[in-house]
Amino acid sequence: MTAVPAPAGGLRTRPRREPGRSSARAGQGRAGWAFTAPQVVLIGLFVLVPILMAFWVSLTDWRGRGSPFTGQVGFVGFDNYATILTEPGLARQDFMTALRNNAWYVLLVVPLQTAIALGLALVLNSRIRAKGFFRTAFYFPTVTSSVAISLVFIFLFTGGGAVNGLLGLVGIDGPNWFSDSRGLVHLLGDGLGLWDAANPPAALTDGGPLGLSWWDWLSGPSIALAALILLVVWTSAGGYMLMFLAALQDVPNDVREAAVMDGANAWQRFRAVTLPALRPTLFLVTTLGLIGTWQVFDQVYLISQGNPAKTTLTPAYLSYTSAFETGQWGRAAAMSFVLFAIIIVLTSLQRFLMRDKDAAAEKKAVRAAQRARAASSKTTFFQAGR
Amino acid sequence: MRSPIRRSAQAAVAVAALSLAAACGGGFDDTAEQQESGSASLTMLIASSGDAETQAVQDQVAAYEQESGNTVDVQVAADLSQELAQGFAGGNPPDVFYLDASRLADQADAGNLFPYVDQVDDVDDFYPNLIDAFTYQDTQYCLPKDFSTLALEINDAAWSAAGLTEADYPTTWEQLATVAQRLTTGTQTGLVIGDTRDRVGAFMVEAGGWFLNGDGTEATVDSSENLEALQYLQTNLAAGSFRYPSGVDAGWGGEAFGTGKAAMTIEGNWLVGAMEADYPDVGYTVVPLPEGPGGPGTLSFTNCLAVAADSDAQDAAVDLATYLTGADAMTALTQDTGVLPSRQSLADAYLQQFPERQAYIDGAEYAQGPVNAPGAEQVLLDFDSQLGGLATGDPQAILDSTQTNLEQAIGG
Amino acid sequence: MTTTLETPVAETPATPPPRTRRTGQQVGRFLAYVVLVFFAIVYLYPFLIQIVTSFKTDTDATNTPLSLLPDPVTTAAFSRLFDTDFLLWGFNSVWVSVLVTVGRVFLCSLAGYALARLRFRGRSAIFTAVLAVMAVPGVVLLIPKFLVLNQLGIYDTPVALFLPLVADAAGIFIMKQFFESVPASIEEAARIDGAGTFRVFWSVVLPMARPALITLTILSFQASWNELPHFIVASQDRDLYTLTKGVATLTTGQLGSGNQFPLTLGAALLMTIPVAVVFFVFQRYFVGGANEGAVKG
Repeated sequence: MTAVPAPAGGLRTRPRREPGRSSARAGQGRAGWAFTAPQVVLIGLFVLVPILMAFWVSLTDWRGRGSPFTGQVGFVGFDNYATILTEPGLARQDFMTALRNNAWYVLLVVPLQTAIALGLALVLNSRIRAKGFFRTAFYFPTVTSSVAISLVFIFLFTGGGAVNGLLGLVGIDGPNWFSDSRGLVHLLGDGLGLWDAANPPAALTDGGPLGLSWWDWLSGPSIALAALILLVVWTSAGGYMLMFLAALQDVPNDVREAAVMDGANAWQRFRAVTLPALRPTLFLVTTLGLIGTWQVFDQVYLISQGNPAKTTLTPAYLSYTSAFETGQWGRAAAMSFVLFAIIIVLTSLQRFLMRDKDAAAEKKAVRAAQRARAASSKTTFFQAGR
Repeated sequence: MRSPIRRSAQAAVAVAALSLAAACGGGFDDTAEQQESGSASLTMLIASSGDAETQAVQDQVAAYEQESGNTVDVQVAADLSQELAQGFAGGNPPDVFYLDASRLADQADAGNLFPYVDQVDDVDDFYPNLIDAFTYQDTQYCLPKDFSTLALEINDAAWSAAGLTEADYPTTWEQLATVAQRLTTGTQTGLVIGDTRDRVGAFMVEAGGWFLNGDGTEATVDSSENLEALQYLQTNLAAGSFRYPSGVDAGWGGEAFGTGKAAMTIEGNWLVGAMEADYPDVGYTVVPLPEGPGGPGTLSFTNCLAVAADSDAQDAAVDLATYLTGADAMTALTQDTGVLPSRQSLADAYLQQFPERQAYIDGAEYAQGPVNAPGAEQVLLDFDSQLGGLATGDPQAILDSTQTNLEQAIGG
Repeated sequence: MTTTLETPVAETPATPPPRTRRTGQQVGRFLAYVVLVFFAIVYLYPFLIQIVTSFKTDTDATNTPLSLLPDPVTTAAFSRLFDTDFLLWGFNSVWVSVLVTVGRVFLCSLAGYALARLRFRGRSAIFTAVLAVMAVPGVVLLIPKFLVLNQLGIYDTPVALFLPLVADAAGIFIMKQFFESVPASIEEAARIDGAGTFRVFWSVVLPMARPALITLTILSFQASWNELPHFIVASQDRDLYTLTKGVATLTTGQLGSGNQFPLTLGAALLMTIPVAVVFFVFQRYFVGGANEGAVKG
């Protein structure tokens, strides 16, 4: 993962004790390949080769009958990419709708889950009782399967379900969550009197980039998508909380105590001591969040299937249905590659932004990272599990 | 490209199929059944509404196995189109499978289907517009196993509570609007209809419009007839006497109807079974859909028994498909499943048994099948997603965008 | 809760805070408990509802979704669940998860060890490739995976369920990091004694790597037990359904109409139990990072 700086060639720094034993070294060479070969073959076979195959398919008009690697399949160049990116039409409109939904989703999930994770970690890091109980409670959803959690949330969020029952107790008439396609920003503007959601301003509906009107781009997440957002934040915040917790406990106590003695108040201490120490973790958490949220698939597949009114359609799900339901394999493969590119570009961008801000503190962070090396290698365990 | 194991397994099946074909002589004919002694093993992929339907199919298949000596593995799909797509792409599709009429064009266009209707003698017995639903570019692909149509269901108690009598059953759009208004009270909506083309489309047909022209070659979505249909719905939706199920917190029209949130709904014959199971105490009457400016109209929904072009045992597959659409099997299969027999000759016997389904059967005469053009599915899904906002939206804009999209889809 | 607040403050060992801050700290601590209890309810209530609802009747579940008392208590949902293929799905999930876990743990520690300790040409290239593969988002692999399974002729076979999941770059990375963090002296001594590389790895290195192996075991088991998209694209035969894929079909109403919440929630409950057991038994490995930090601090 790009987020974890890994020293390459660590062995070179370690002096060999017996440089003269070349036969041992040859043995190591054979063993090295023998040891790595099984995973190298598996990864090649099930990650690299498939990607190449899918790239080929994205350049063809294969409709899903027989093998795509025969002469009968038509080569169409980048037509599939043009269909979803530049040519006006339903295919592009659907893909852009999916991108819009996912962008709103990312925009809400990443800050929310990061803030909740950080907040819970800070609270848990203070001197309180039953720490283990709370930590377990918050972390448990992370290890539970998305299928089980989705089933529970379908029940909680049905029209006459538990969530609306709770809302009813405080006098709120809750929406029919998973079938309500109204956009939150549309509703908000309506509530504030900025516009009439039933009769949107022509300036916004008349035009817009990439096949969607400005009005559509700016709809905000629908209520159905908001319910999915709540689900995902609820599920994933606990895992990120653990990462923050691990990092917090590596903040050197003497520094914090020195700050206390200096008379710094809680907020100043947080800004001056805790936050800088958390920066690498913050970076890791937002990166993992970005990567994860752009891939949302399970919940859409299980709960909403893109409905209502396509407001929970995501690129990953659209790509899946385009291939497996409607047989547009080339177009579907093109969608995955565009999604791939989006994820890479965004994480690189985020890396660039956070590094730029940090230029001065870089050296300090590197030193801190080295000190916390054991802990940070533990931290990576969590990402392996998702 | 395939593994040796898979290949040899397929070779074995192919050999079996070839020997079967040889045993049958050239091609399939009506006497083949008696001559068959070899056995083919077939897979059949079906969708099922529940255990009862699955059991009914399995019983008929068992009878077929007995008679033909072939073996049939019946698989119930959780998601039929996905499993079909994986089967075709895997080069190992089911030999026989259910195919919804709305997906026929896609599958035919991709070359996935083996057309077998020309091998069957008594095609005339099937309702012609059901055969049309499985015809793409002048080729008749497969035989409809059954069908359903839409009708208007009326809650008897609500009807008399509003002071209405049998003479008031609506036969025109105006009457429908009037009674819906009269039936709308604080907790009850006059008419609840699903917000998709599968219900709204009926009004387009009644207005004299449809998505495509007669031979399916041209998009006619932005016609004045279709506009009239949408405007009619819009007026009544805005008035609150028509509503979508989500507007009354129901999953579908039948739920709204059964729970008394709707005095009327427009659903198909599957409603009968659902009412029996979930709301047995609700008394209701089924009448044909009211006529619009373009005359009577309804929609039909039907599945055929399709045979895969890549089937290794094509003759046996056709044999199975024709067996299951034969009069005897069809009679048995339409007993408990709530669907209607697609053979005209079976209608009388069926109606003697289920007289209350008269209105649904009558619809067969003038029912419009699903849109039958490759790539149309996405366009229609988009149309559906726009219908949600019909009450306050611009009907012309909905039709215009769908017209553009459909032109693109069928124009290639 | 309020009574417990005094003690930790009074027992604070080092550098007792100035008196003026004490009330402020108490308020802060009280708020901390409010926040924690609120979130604990938010996190635990859904699980409680899930357990309770699975013992309700369909109508009870639909009509009183908030009630924590099933009326009447029934196990009908579970009996209906066992009328489905639930046991078969569970069996498939078990063998798939076990094979994936064993495969991942063994092959990842082999590769991780080689990358950390052995000197051979191509080592850094392999490691770079591992890092690059870790950056590939899993979801974009859905269509590619289907294509390759198809080409290999193993689509819709048991092999397709587990073998692709054994490929795991992150596991290699974890093991490499671990092996780099332990001193090399012991194994080098063993090597000087003339033991072969695999011998050294098997009998000297692996036993030392127990904590990392357990962590990887847990993570692999949990990941493969909870996996869904891979199973969707790797097979279609109903005999090869795993728990995630099978239970997912329950939501599409295969078993008839109506909301069968007790059935679906009961299924969700049962499929959670194995992971929950593993979680509670090995919790310290899940939260190892935090614990280790606490010891250090």
